[in-house]
Amino acid sequence: MASFRNCDGMVRRDALKAGVLGFTGLSMAGYSQLQAANGVDPTAKGKSAIFVNLNGGPSHMDTFDLKPDAPSEYRGEFNPIQTCLPGVTISEHLPNIAGCMDKFTLLRGVSHSVAAHALGTKYVNTGNRPLPSLEFPGYGAVITRECATDPELPPFVAIPRSSQRPGYMGVKYAPMDTTSTPTIGQPYRVRGISMAGGVTVSDFERRQSLLSRLDRTFSDVEKDNQLLDGMDEFAQQAHAVISSTRAREAFDIGREDASFAKTFGSSQLGASCLLALRLVESGVRFVTVTNGGWDTHRDNWNALKDRQLPSLDESLAALFNGLAARGLLESTVVYVTGEFGRTPKINTERNGRDHYPRNMFMIMGGGGVRGGQVLGESDEKGAMPKNDGFSPDDVAASFYHAMGIDHTIEYLTPTGRPVMIVREGTVIPELFA
Amino acid sequence: MIISAPHRFAFLVTVFSCMFLSASVPVQASEESVLPSIAQRFETGVAEETPDFQRHIVPLIGKLGCNGRACHGSFQGRGGFRLSLFGYDFKTDHEELYGRLDTETPSESLILQKALMQIQHEGGQRLKEGSWEHHVMLRWIQSEAPSRAEDAATLQRLDITPSELLFSAADQTQQLRAVAVWSDGVREDVTDLCRFQSNDDQVAEIGQDGIVTSAEPGDTHVVVFYDRAVVPVPVIRPVTDQFGEKYPDVPMPTEVDRLVVEKLRKVGIIQSDLCSDEEFLRRASLDVTGTLPTPAEIREFLADSSEDKRARKIDELLERPGYVAWWTTKLCDFTGNSDDKLNNVTPVRQEASKQWYAWLEKRVRDNVPYDKLIEGIVLAKSRNDGESFREYSESMSSLYHRGGVGAVGYADREGLAHFWSRQNFQSSEDRVIAFAYTFLGTRIQCAQCHKHPFDRWTQDDFQQFEGFFRTTRGRATVQPNTREEYDAMVAGIEGAEGLKGNDLRRVLASALQDGMIVPFPEVYTTRVPAARAGARRRNAVVASPTARPLGGSEVNLSEFEDPRQPLMDWLRSPENPLFAKAFVNRVWAAYFGRGIVQPSDDLNLANPPVNQGLVNYLSSEFIASGFDMKWLHREILNSRTYQLSWIPNSTNRMDEKNFSRSVPRRLPAEVAYDILVQATLNSEKNAAVVSDVSGRAVSIPGSGLRRRANGEAAYAMTVFGRSIRESNCDCDRTDEPSLLQTIFLRNDDQVLAMLDANDGWLREVCRANEIPFSSRSSGGRTGVNSRQLAQLKARYQQQLKKLKQQIQLAEKDGLKGRLPSLRNQLGKLRERAVSAGVVTPTAEEAEALAAAQEAEKANASANVDAETIVREAYLRTLSRNPNDDELAVSVEFINASEDAAEGVRGVLWALVNTREFLVNR
Repeated sequence: MASFRNCDGMVRRDALKAGVLGFTGLSMAGYSQLQAANGVDPTAKGKSAIFVNLNGGPSHMDTFDLKPDAPSEYRGEFNPIQTCLPGVTISEHLPNIAGCMDKFTLLRGVSHSVAAHALGTKYVNTGNRPLPSLEFPGYGAVITRECATDPELPPFVAIPRSSQRPGYMGVKYAPMDTTSTPTIGQPYRVRGISMAGGVTVSDFERRQSLLSRLDRTFSDVEKDNQLLDGMDEFAQQAHAVISSTRAREAFDIGREDASFAKTFGSSQLGASCLLALRLVESGVRFVTVTNGGWDTHRDNWNALKDRQLPSLDESLAALFNGLAARGLLESTVVYVTGEFGRTPKINTERNGRDHYPRNMFMIMGGGGVRGGQVLGESDEKGAMPKNDGFSPDDVAASFYHAMGIDHTIEYLTPTGRPVMIVREGTVIPELFA
Repeated sequence: MIISAPHRFAFLVTVFSCMFLSASVPVQASEESVLPSIAQRFETGVAEETPDFQRHIVPLIGKLGCNGRACHGSFQGRGGFRLSLFGYDFKTDHEELYGRLDTETPSESLILQKALMQIQHEGGQRLKEGSWEHHVMLRWIQSEAPSRAEDAATLQRLDITPSELLFSAADQTQQLRAVAVWSDGVREDVTDLCRFQSNDDQVAEIGQDGIVTSAEPGDTHVVVFYDRAVVPVPVIRPVTDQFGEKYPDVPMPTEVDRLVVEKLRKVGIIQSDLCSDEEFLRRASLDVTGTLPTPAEIREFLADSSEDKRARKIDELLERPGYVAWWTTKLCDFTGNSDDKLNNVTPVRQEASKQWYAWLEKRVRDNVPYDKLIEGIVLAKSRNDGESFREYSESMSSLYHRGGVGAVGYADREGLAHFWSRQNFQSSEDRVIAFAYTFLGTRIQCAQCHKHPFDRWTQDDFQQFEGFFRTTRGRATVQPNTREEYDAMVAGIEGAEGLKGNDLRRVLASALQDGMIVPFPEVYTTRVPAARAGARRRNAVVASPTARPLGGSEVNLSEFEDPRQPLMDWLRSPENPLFAKAFVNRVWAAYFGRGIVQPSDDLNLANPPVNQGLVNYLSSEFIASGFDMKWLHREILNSRTYQLSWIPNSTNRMDEKNFSRSVPRRLPAEVAYDILVQATLNSEKNAAVVSDVSGRAVSIPGSGLRRRANGEAAYAMTVFGRSIRESNCDCDRTDEPSLLQTIFLRNDDQVLAMLDANDGWLREVCRANEIPFSSRSSGGRTGVNSRQLAQLKARYQQQLKKLKQQIQLAEKDGLKGRLPSLRNQLGKLRERAVSAGVVTPTAEEAEALAAAQEAEKANASANVDAETIVREAYLRTLSRNPNDDELAVSVEFINASEDAAEGVRGVLWALVNTREFLVNR
């Protein structure tokens, strides 16, 4: 771990311990200090967040940005329906979402220029256009670093896994992957947290006490060594997490009230959203839900109406309504996006739409974000934003703002380069108006 | 200036090494010939002379902070005024400044008024009225503010006196003096124009006046910057009074030890004792082969009383497949073998990263000289010399044919062309950055946009370096002269004609599966045309006929068939200051947890090695050995310094950078995972791991987000921080601890299942000691999920049915002799089903079952030789015998466990969860 002192290249610090023979330095401070809250704005309403990643690039033209008056080579098969917001229409296959549009802001005319899945996904998961020489940290990593966390819970959980990596910040900010998706109505156990079959908490405590008597080789030197000291600290945290009933129960969606759970439907996305809600309710700071199948180059409309949209509609509506019903929407930012939109002009050979980053939609709600509005607008063919549009960077900056994090804070990379959390974006004030 | 080929490299390297070494070379300039500092010359007023833009004005505005990142050096500028960040863009800086000057009434120049705060200046007052700095600026403007001349002299050296600082107490001070030596013969005291930094201000602070003040004991460098020169000056305040003459006699059996101790002698640190044989064997096995020694191997090694047993063990380890796999993995890290970045490079996904791994593996196994190995990458093209397109396509196709040789066959190709095909290695800028990272251990990216703040590199150096990379086509390309042949081959494949991109790849992939020959795109290079006078350039990126390697001299590329040839010549030239050093330093870092230069991929002038003599020795001898990688490994491993104990003494307790003891370091992700598997496997498989690396994490070829590629180890690789091979940084791999690592080891289903696995050590122990085995993991029987339970039930019903049929048949056919055996089998089957929970037991059965288990338990605990088991557990995890205390605690744990299997499991669990297991020490 490097600790470079700032700026202007005038002073740079030797890596690792402060000086070879630094008799003080970082070693005692340990990792907890590095994780301590870093000047998060306490007045910000967002305390936790759920990020829903629609992998593959959902077609804006057939979901949230329909162009019924566009020429037929653009328009698509779906009809618009009225939402609970006067004058605002979305796809006919999203009736439940249409009914809860008062709970979030729909952003249209978000635009960028990265048309490849991997790079586009990185872009929208970090708020920074990818660079070959630097891996930017995902939102969850930054939030883990900035926000104080509950010692009994992993701060950052990915269902089932996430494109958000800790990047230049290092593995201690990595997400805990559940690696599987729960099923509604079934008990759910997750690796590392749930007790394995046959192991009871008292077995675990017994083993733990043996471990503490055997792990003494380094007891004379551990306080002088950052690695050993850090491992010791994580050992205590791990014990807190594993022996916590609260943590186990948070993951077990089988314990959820059946009538509440029912609103999330029976899809994997729905179960993931329900789990995300339970985790946030228990005190997890950041949860990503990843949902695939949106790369509809072929047979776009059948894929959407039969497979993708019904579960999205059911799940997202249940998530927003559920958060509101539990009184969590005020403190939980929900951020939904794919990596790009899809070509407004239909690919008639395959009856599909292809990658298209120039115009896409995003959704953000909760945590002080104003509900019941549409910001931004695209042109009559859905091809470009009208006016300036928004960049993923702007949306990212706004997301951090909702969480009370100043996106212009600079972190130092391991190479000593100062980098802002979001390098190019500016907060969209209307989101909070 | 273009120098003819033979002299080309020697020339600039000389300049470079002078710059680098000037702090330790005695200053030869006589005092009289040195111009006094410009501060003195302008102290009392505006002197007659005209200050020089390069020598005085740019350093001065740098020192005043004007071109810093927060001020006018920002890419957006400040207040409409932008200077190049950290200077060295003389033309732009002059233009920007000139627009803010008033040569008619110099004192009314905007830059003076702002800097003096005569008018509002957001950056505050930078200049004091009547100071020498003010006089210098004023005089320059009065003289019409000349820019740097086209043929300006260049800086040859920056001499610093004293060249090394030795302090004996806190708060001692020493003034540094800097003399610039220019190519026109001028020597000038430039102390007042230098920037200064301390690399560790806990040891020494340095003011911008060049005065060094001592602080805590220790050693570091202060660094002096002027123009392009960057000169580090060592500063030492010994830690004990045992330094220099008073340093005790210590063993230093090898040259490496002598050089390490030479430094320690100055700092007053004494090395720890030699480590024990147990420690040595574990450390070397993990470091060299990423594998634990087997219990048998440990016993054998401890029993061996010969003098040279450590040296022999080192030789043995270097011949094992673990060494090959681990150093192939490391080279994959440095060269960037990432599946994500190789998408679509081969018709079948992940094949490119497998081929890449195979190519390197063969060369590591054969111990091909490092420079030869690298040549195969730097000069790589897809086709072998003399190979026709058809032959090339046949050869490549055969790698994909079902039942064929597979990815391993790629190892026989001459070049590692995939290196050039990575998505993040296509623009010449990206290539410069990645090339400098991989082969020079240098971070050049700063100079893409501005003067490197810690090194001598300028934007011009960066741009000149790009020339070598412009004419190599890296991605899915068909050479123009093979286009027809390519199209004809495509046309010969059913359904392929007219297809492009992914659609074509799919058809080709399936044709390959069927054993067909398909055409392959290729990486190739074209000759750089000589510049023709008056030739029209179609666009700005037409290759310039010249290029310049970093710190080398200009090359006329058009003289070469392949413009990368002079680059390779420069790399492997013995005078190259970075090529050998970068590898030597990385190998050292792998064995000590930190480089002689740290971070290990950050060789820059302001980040000097902690032991210059050591890195120089290893580099020059590595070159002299013919770039023999195994020579380098042996030289390091056989040193006493590598074999030191981790237990500190009173002098080296706080030293983690001078190699005075072994510093515990977390195992790399692959090794951590692999030894977890190895430690929990039964004896036979535990030993087999030593000679077979297949299926291990260290054999995963590429990096990437795809789970399939990483198999079962995927989650552990993420959590423990395997290199992502994405951002041209050795820090893409991490050895930091984290919460998730600990949770993984303590309670992850995968780890718990390893403890209970069928081929695990626990089962073996239970069988041997007649301990009833009961699973405590979700993968085992007690934790079976409903699906598995249903399967078990089905199997039971099947067996039951079969047995009943046999009994019926036996009764019918009068084979009464078979009946007792069959009825017995039936009883056993029922018993097993009861204990597995597949059938509901009758009250009687339940009672009998409980009684049997109780008896077995009592019987088993009486039989268990807990002490032997504990000793074995220690050897297979921590590779050492337990001490008395550890033995007593563990035996007691097993004996106190109601269920003996759980007792043994608990000990094994605890041992793999100790910090000692997860670190090398």
